[in-house]
This record gives sequence, C-alpha cells and structure tokens, in this order.
Amino acid sequence: MKKTMVGIAAFATAGALVLAGCSSSDNETTAGPTEPGASAEGQNITLWVMGGDTPDALREYLTTEYAAATGGTLTIEQQDWGDALSKLTTALPDSENTPDVTEIGNTWSPTFTTVGAFSDISDMYAELGGDSLLKSFVDVGVVDGKNYALPYYFGSRYNFYRKDIYEAAGVSVPTTLQEFSDVTKQLTSADMSGFYLGGSDWRNGISWIFANGGELAVQGDDGAWVSTLSDANSIKGLTMLQDLYTNSSHAPVGEFDSTPWVNINDNESTGKPEAATIIAPGWAHWSIGDPGENEAGDPINTWNDEKNGAFVLPGVDGGVAPVFAGGSNIAISAASPNQEGARELMKIIFSPEYQQMLGENGLGPANLDYADALGDDQFAEALRTSAASSKLTPAAPGWAAVEGSGLLEEFFGKVNAGGDIAALAAEYDEKISALLNG
Amino acid sequence: MSVATDREPAATLAPRRKRRSPMPYWLLIPAIAILVIGTGYPTVWQLTNSFREYGLRQQFGTPAPWVWFENYTTLLTDGQFWAVVLRSLIFCAVTAAMTLVIGLGIALLMTAVGRTVRLMLQISMLLAWAMPVVASMTVWTWLFDRRRGVVNYVLDKIPGVDMYRFNWLAEPFTFFMVASIIVIWMSVPFVAFSLYAGLTQVPEEVLEAADLDGATGGQRLRLIIVPIIRPVMSIVLLLQIIWDLRVFTQITILQDAGSSATEFDLLGTYIFKLGTGSQHFGMAAAASVVVLIITIIVSGGYVWRIMKEDSK
Repeated sequence: MKKTMVGIAAFATAGALVLAGCSSSDNETTAGPTEPGASAEGQNITLWVMGGDTPDALREYLTTEYAAATGGTLTIEQQDWGDALSKLTTALPDSENTPDVTEIGNTWSPTFTTVGAFSDISDMYAELGGDSLLKSFVDVGVVDGKNYALPYYFGSRYNFYRKDIYEAAGVSVPTTLQEFSDVTKQLTSADMSGFYLGGSDWRNGISWIFANGGELAVQGDDGAWVSTLSDANSIKGLTMLQDLYTNSSHAPVGEFDSTPWVNINDNESTGKPEAATIIAPGWAHWSIGDPGENEAGDPINTWNDEKNGAFVLPGVDGGVAPVFAGGSNIAISAASPNQEGARELMKIIFSPEYQQMLGENGLGPANLDYADALGDDQFAEALRTSAASSKLTPAAPGWAAVEGSGLLEEFFGKVNAGGDIAALAAEYDEKISALLNG
Repeated sequence: MSVATDREPAATLAPRRKRRSPMPYWLLIPAIAILVIGTGYPTVWQLTNSFREYGLRQQFGTPAPWVWFENYTTLLTDGQFWAVVLRSLIFCAVTAAMTLVIGLGIALLMTAVGRTVRLMLQISMLLAWAMPVVASMTVWTWLFDRRRGVVNYVLDKIPGVDMYRFNWLAEPFTFFMVASIIVIWMSVPFVAFSLYAGLTQVPEEVLEAADLDGATGGQRLRLIIVPIIRPVMSIVLLLQIIWDLRVFTQITILQDAGSSATEFDLLGTYIFKLGTGSQHFGMAAAASVVVLIITIIVSGGYVWRIMKEDSK
C-alpha cells in the first residue's frame, strides 16, 4: 500500500515537475480606452526601468516631480535586462500587475507595439518633442501611423584601445574597416587579442554586415519580413568578420554580449591586458583604466589618457561604420488603469530639465535638441559620431522573438567558429524568417 | 526483509474489512487538493494550449485559434527536437547511473568507517546538498573557467598535459561532461543517505554467515546487500531519472558561462527557449506534453515493477 502510494506520488511529482517548466498565466486585457476627463490627481503609478542605466539622481527627480504634479506616488522598479523580456511578456497584459510606464529595449518595440501592449500616445507626440525626437527610435514604436513607444535614451558603441600597446607596436588608429582587421591582427599575440570580440556577440558583429551595405532582414512588397543573411552584402560582411575573429580575437566562440572592458584593463595577475582593442557601449569608459582602489578599498579603474583612447569603428571606405544603435524606448502600458498618471509621467520625462539631465549623465537624450548636454569630451564626441550613423535592428513584429530565441548568438558563433558562411546563412535565414512576422 | 515486514499488518488488515475508519481519506484531502491545484491546473492549461496557436498576440488578448495536432506535427517532424530528446535521454541515463554507483559507494564507505569519519562525511555531504544551486553553480563555473579555473591550473601542472586555457564549455561533449559532474555532485548526498539508511537494515548475521561460507566482498555486495536494499535503490534511481531528465538551472547557468547554441540544449532549456524565448507558448506546451509522455514511458515500467513488487 505504502509503496504503491510512493509510486503514485513519484509519478505525480514527475508530471508536476516536468510541466512546471512552462506555465504561463492566463489573462485578459481589461483596461479600455481612458475615459475623457479622467484626472491624474493622486494616481499612484509604477515605472519599470531596465538595468542600472538610469542613475539614482534621475530617479529621484522623477519621483519628486511626479509627486509635485499629481500628489501621487511614483514607484520605480528596476528589472534586469536578462529576464526583462519574459517579465514584460507576462506582466504587460495583466492590468493587476502591469507597470504603468515601462522602459523597453528599443529593438523590442516593434514586437510589443504590434501586439497592442502599449497605449496610443500620438496626441502627445508633438508636446513631447515631436520631430526633435530621435527618429529611428520613434519609427520602431509606430504602428499604422500611430505612436505607441517613444525614445528614452540612446548610446551607441565605439572602440576603446590601449594607446601604449598601439604605440609600442608602431601602429596608428585604423581608418578603414580592412585596416582595422590588419592592425588588430598585427597586435594579436599568444596571450593578447588585438580585438577582443565574443564569437557569439551579434550586437557588435552586425556592424560588419551594416558596414558592407547588408541588412539583417527586409520587408517585402507584401509586407512580410524576410531574413537576409544570405544577401551578397551580408555575406561580404560576415566573411570579413570571420576573418577578423579568427585572426584577432581569442574570445571563446560561445561568448556573447559580455563585459569586454575587463579584458582591456591590466590583468591583476599578469599586469598585462588581454586585449588591445574592444568595442563597447559608451558608458563602459567608467570601467576602463588603471586598476586601483577607491576610498572604501574597492577595486576601481581610472581612465588614463596616456594609455586609454577611444575611436569610432571605421567604415569600409573610411568614415564611420554603422554600429548597433543601443538604447531604450519608453511607453505606457495599455492595460494600465492609471493612464492619466502615466501620461503625466511622460511629460516629466520629456521635459527640457530631464532631457538635460540624461545628457549630463552620459545618456543620449531622446530629444536631440539637448544633445549638447552630453558635453564635449572625447566620449561625448565618439558617442555623437557613432550615433549619427548608427543603425537599428529590423522593425519586424517578431524581432523580440528572434532575439529571445538565441538564434543570432548561435549563427554568429558558428560563423566565427569557421563554418561555411553561405550554408549557415541559408540555414538561419530560414529559421529567422519563420519568427520575424510574429 | 525488514522493510517488507513493516508493511505486513497493513496488507493483511485490508482484506478483512474491519472497522474501516474514513479518517485516512480525510487526511489525504489536503495532499490531493495541493496536487490538483498545483499540478492539475497547469496540466490542463498545458494540454489545452498545446492544441492551440498561442503566441505573444494571444498573450495580449487575441483569441487563440485551435490548430489541433499542428504543434505536435511540427515538433515531431523536427530533427532538432529529436536530437535534444536523444541528448537528454543519454545525459539522464549516464548521470543517474553514475549518481547511483557513486552514492552506493559512499553509503558502503559510511558503514565501513568509524564514527568520526562517518560524521565528517555526513556533514560535508549535507553541506553539498544544502547549498543553493545558483551559489554552487557560480563556484563550479569558476572552477572550470578557461582562464583562471583551478581545474585547468591543476591539470596543466601534470607533465605532458596541456590544458592551458582549455575551454570546457566550448564543445558539447566536454560541456555535458562538466554538467554531468555538477549534477552528480549535487545528487550524490541524497542517494548516499537513502542507501545508507537502507544498508542499516541489512542483518549483520546474514553477512557474517556469508563471510564464514567464504563469500568475497563482491559476492556479498552483489548477492546479499543489493537484493536487500533493492527497494530503496529502485525508488532513488527512479527519482534520479526524473530529476536528471528535467535538469534546467545547471544547464542554463553553464550556457550563460559558455554557449547557448542549440547543441548545448537539454529538454528543459529547449522548452524554455521555445516558450519564453521565442514566445511560441503553444509549441512549448506541446513539447512539454511530449516530455511528459517520455517521462511516463521511461519511468512507467519502473513504477509498474515497484507496484508489482509491493503487491507480492
């Protein structure tokens, strides 16, 4: 009897455990359009920010201003980039648990706007900055001519290099993409990468496709999106990337968007860096420099102009290569019962004061009229130059699924492992196209 | 067989139908209620949605159309899915078997050593067992780190062995070897404790008699000890098979440290990528149902045997 029970219990447990892996809550989208004349007065709302990119001073400003404007409380909750996609998927449709306003990865905007996760804010567009807002980010938040998500901040990627190592090798900063490959190859030794690039790091890898005139996906006349890794220009870029990775990077094939700056700083055990060049978002400069300690005794790195430098990834024929346009969008959840309060918060975020503060903190302000707030040091310069020709991932409705599936990491990893580019491109075109249209 | 004799009274009482109190059934209600709510609801959701097209649009309120077996056909005709299934089964078999062998070894060791040593063994195993997965996984990924990992450092010291910056997580074979070592490390304590408890039930006299008859250590283990503790071993092995088939956390964390390509997926991570990652909730539900069926097939015969043994 007892054994039978154990058997049954084990069986039931098996079922429970296997199934537990994949449940998701049912839901109904309840919140209808806001009633006209509803007031933001006293509405308590929640804002989700992604990662630690929004500094504390800015968070305090928002909370204070929101309380002053409405008398309500603004709660700011920080989500990890890593599981943000799944959290948004489950929370946004649920009016009980949805954030009222949320930051989202700019590349996820098409997906969520297409399924109707956000409120139409076209009527506020002009008031919030209109044509002064960063256009490529505005575009990914538009469906049928209506604005659902607007830019929050931008920051694009550029290169950091070790001046001392470049000088010792007698090379100068490359001015074309081919020269970049040659220089970093020359700098590569058994224990140092000329250019440390993770094999599966597609967010940086796509710059080579873009620079060669390729695209990740295009929209056909029938409106359907098709993956275009097999396009001749994309292949040209991938070939260049494979060659660069093979000759200049010791990073593992499986490494993806990681923390490359640890490799350009002097390693505490060897006293040498692992890399002469890296590519990273602009704010990485806070983590680059000579190792030392702060007042609290924690290890920090301090930028040293003698040793550290920054340059923008050069294009195929000189100039600037189109790099991945990093950054975020911001939108009001359609399921939020506090539409008025949420709109009030949007006004505060797009106010001149807040835009100015974004720039002063090194985040590219959504409203380009305030881009000067970034200052004029070398980082601001590099950010502005790289952002000017930066490029977003395709505005396809299924793009978030493509990112979530891990197919791009897999594809770039296999290319950089020395795989047959044409065959791989064809294989992954098929897999990605299947997801692109949502 | 003291394990079996404990149950004799219960077994003989039942057929007599004497003064049957409804109390046991009342006591079962909370357990059943938890099972129905905790397992029943997701199971029903899972089954229903495996027959529907359920993506992000449906998550945001669009009605989910019935596609009946379309999800299943897509899945079952996908070579990649079968590759993951096969990989998971092999991983599960190897890991569960190794866990049982090592666990039995440690259990036997515990009966053989003195009190102090046994206590030390027990404490260290309890610590390993009680360690939160994420914490121990962090340590494990550091141990196998290609640049500064202790494993590479030590192996590299052996003359003639070149393990300088060897990347354990770059190839599926070494990746799953590491994963298997970690899972075994985490499961051995439970198996060792359970089997040790079983071993204390082996009568001293029988072993002594065998000894006098000239049985070797191996013969005693094979012909006396193992048959006596077989019921415990069966249950423990069954649990290991189920656990190792659904292993998820360890694989995900290793993928974060290594590569997340499909070649490194087991069923758990595959379903996660399909559902949460690619937002194909319907497909993921279908995959989970298939895994449930596989689990039933793999463990079903086993449960059947345990039940039959019980009714003897």
